[in-house]
Amino acid sequence: MSGNEVSRRFFLTASLAAGGGLLLGCALSPVAELVQGAGLLSVQDNSSRLNDITLNTWIRISPGDEVTLISSQSEMGQGVMTTLPAILAEELCVDWNRVKIEVSAVAPAYRNPRINWQFTGNSESTTGFFDLLRTMGASAREMLIKAAANRWGVRDEECYAESGRVVHGGTRRVLKFGDVAEDAAKLTPPKTPRLKSERDWKLLGRSLPRVELSSKLNGSAVFGLDFSVPGMVYAAVMQSPVHGGVVSSFDKQSVLNHPGVIDVVQIPNGIAVVAQQYWYARQALKQLKVEFENKGKSEIRSATLDQQYRDSLNGQSWKTVKTEGAALRSDAMAGKFQQVLSHEYESQFLAHATMEPMNCTASVTDESCTVWGPLQGPELAKLTLSGMFKLPPERVFINRTLLGGGFGRRLLVDFVVQAAVVSKAVGKPVKVVWSREEDMQHDVYRPATLNQISAGLDETGQPAAIAHKVVSPSILQFVYPAAVTEDNDPSCLEGLMETHYQIPSQRVDFKLLKIGIPTSVLRTTGYGPNIFALESFIDELAFEAKKDPYEFRRALLKDERSLNVLNTVVAKSDWRKKRSKGVARGLAYAEAFRTHIAHVVELSVKNNLVNIHRITCVVDCGFALDPEITRNSIEGGTVWGLSAAFKSAITFHNGRTVESNFHNYQIAQMDETPPIDVHIVNSSTKVLGGTGEVGPVTLVPAVTNAIFAATGQRYRSLPLSRHGLRLASIV
Amino acid sequence: MKSIAFNLNGAGVTIEVEPDKPLLWVLRDDLGLTGTKYGCGMAICGCCTVHVEGDAIRSCVTPIARVTGKRVITIEGLSNDLRHPVQRAWVDLQVPQCGYCQPGQMMSAACLLAQNPNPTDTDIDDAMSGNLCRCGTYQRIRKAIHRAAEMTAKQGARE
Repeated sequence: MSGNEVSRRFFLTASLAAGGGLLLGCALSPVAELVQGAGLLSVQDNSSRLNDITLNTWIRISPGDEVTLISSQSEMGQGVMTTLPAILAEELCVDWNRVKIEVSAVAPAYRNPRINWQFTGNSESTTGFFDLLRTMGASAREMLIKAAANRWGVRDEECYAESGRVVHGGTRRVLKFGDVAEDAAKLTPPKTPRLKSERDWKLLGRSLPRVELSSKLNGSAVFGLDFSVPGMVYAAVMQSPVHGGVVSSFDKQSVLNHPGVIDVVQIPNGIAVVAQQYWYARQALKQLKVEFENKGKSEIRSATLDQQYRDSLNGQSWKTVKTEGAALRSDAMAGKFQQVLSHEYESQFLAHATMEPMNCTASVTDESCTVWGPLQGPELAKLTLSGMFKLPPERVFINRTLLGGGFGRRLLVDFVVQAAVVSKAVGKPVKVVWSREEDMQHDVYRPATLNQISAGLDETGQPAAIAHKVVSPSILQFVYPAAVTEDNDPSCLEGLMETHYQIPSQRVDFKLLKIGIPTSVLRTTGYGPNIFALESFIDELAFEAKKDPYEFRRALLKDERSLNVLNTVVAKSDWRKKRSKGVARGLAYAEAFRTHIAHVVELSVKNNLVNIHRITCVVDCGFALDPEITRNSIEGGTVWGLSAAFKSAITFHNGRTVESNFHNYQIAQMDETPPIDVHIVNSSTKVLGGTGEVGPVTLVPAVTNAIFAATGQRYRSLPLSRHGLRLASIV
Repeated sequence: MKSIAFNLNGAGVTIEVEPDKPLLWVLRDDLGLTGTKYGCGMAICGCCTVHVEGDAIRSCVTPIARVTGKRVITIEGLSNDLRHPVQRAWVDLQVPQCGYCQPGQMMSAACLLAQNPNPTDTDIDDAMSGNLCRCGTYQRIRKAIHRAAEMTAKQGARE
């Protein structure tokens, strides 16, 4: 899928906001978030900065020498608000503690260059913007140097930039960036500015304090839930309990006399009660008389879904998505090999369960639409609202707050649409807030999957042929429909198409399942279920071959980075050291989101209680631009993996989601979190990979492989709680 | 509506409010202190943790009437200069990711340390297991609590 194709399908209506429109958008955006290098995050009017000189769409410098760097990616804990501006600052040669960071508007200049679309997801903020931001920083630096050189009447080559100043090497004369910014802005940007040598990096590769850290420690950080504008009212929503249902009738009068209630407004899949405060809206909603039409969707149950997956796996009409070598089907393996091994693996439906429930603030009039919220998909929001209200895109203003977790959920704009619809109806700015129950029962879930893997083994137990069958509902349908066809969704196949294991005959067949449950991207996307299946199966092959799981994998791998990560995790985890009685270790390796990762989990099992003693992880994301942020992300991803492996599952009954809050959709707690050692391998800045989603990918199969090593019991479906296994408190 | 008076972050507050309205929503919507977060509404996740008379409580299930005449501390009142040992330790360990649960985590941690200046891992687990973090920063929180305890001990030794 080329960027251009995607653009055509997505952006027919968005062609207006090019070049100058972007700057206009910035200047007119009513609110911008401003972050000081080490200070507090505040939301303020940016009119005081209209005198700033714009060097390019990423860098502004005030006459008073204040440097503002634009952060285009949504900050949801992954550290992009720190690491991406640090790339600009590095090339610009400006002191980190003197820059300000501002969240960008929605404009073409801020699209991820790879797919020409402004979003934060797919673990590609760093990989997508690294080259662009280096170039932008270097370009601005060269313009500033040239402007200073012109003023001194010397050649550019005699000058250099350092700590926000241009220095003339010969005479040691100095000009501050602010002194020459106006002249610099008049120059033509260099076509191919010279990038700094990595040897000279002062910021990249070092751990920087997160720019928004202080605000997160004293309550001043503004998440979507915390945002407010004058005159704002609140809405509590109830969406059709049955997925796909709609409101058939409601009695507005039943709540209009409740305290604080202003109105009752129908939204696309439900109803909203609007009140002076959220608490009033929430209380009145409980009393509202409303009926839903289930549109025949109330038959969906987990058991019927299981059957649908099973029937699909056993049925015909597969789409063959990968063939390598003889590409033997599983049913063609019998008789050709010494032994054929075949197993099925199931991953469950998962909810994102961001700690901040879905919410958004909107103010819609006949002339314009402005939203403020925790968004991963600001451009989708802009296009959707522009179409809905028939407003030109330049009259739709999208402002982003901090995100209290994203994990893919906030790429969707259902909650944004609700806020806009309600605001238009009541003629006031409105903040829509979902209860935790709405958030969990109206998520757009990580789809459950069913994988079958078969291998033909030679006389030494080595796999000569491998065949996968994957059954999964769509992942990308709502967030990247251009990539989805009637029978294919590339995200569902991640991890199987480009495996590093050297097996002569390889085949992947896929079936895109249509179910009545909304499904979408969730941290790990297709890699999660597919690597759980593949790495469990590789472990099973090792056992059949009576080989050590590490030695078995090593023999199948040729790629240098794969082997290095595998060898390093073995060394760091003491894999070869004798274990105490009852203690076992499990291993898993993968390349996912362009990052190589391996986990070793050390545990013991007693009476179905799994006691994890230690987790070791080695990660090669090319180069960790900020090692501490990378490490924190991988630690957190590992904990996410524990939740997915042991505790969390979404189930359905009579068309509804059963789980409603953290008591029945459980996630890992502190007492269940063992020591996690993360080791970073830097191989090259030329092969940057993502680190936001990769953490859970290998953790899950490393856990089930370790449980097999400890007990001889192989678990091929998740979560492990369905087999009666529990995660023990660690102390 | 009822007039309810209590002490909030060191200052007296009197408001006209429904007595059954949860403290969480009074703090956020009546008093504009949005550092205390809504997460679950049923005292499971800990995002809304504040101190009442020195104890860590879940404000989402605490009717405002119950804090009448009491001392309430929220994240905004933990310190006025980010110098509370918990805040300093959170900086040292670079604990937060998304940060949404962290006010609750820090209020639980501050309460634990006030009542038990040198907690063991078990003490920390007992005090902190009701504070969920979807980003999974638990390991850093644990280390930061130990660090805050050390800081307080050193400070005490100097004084």
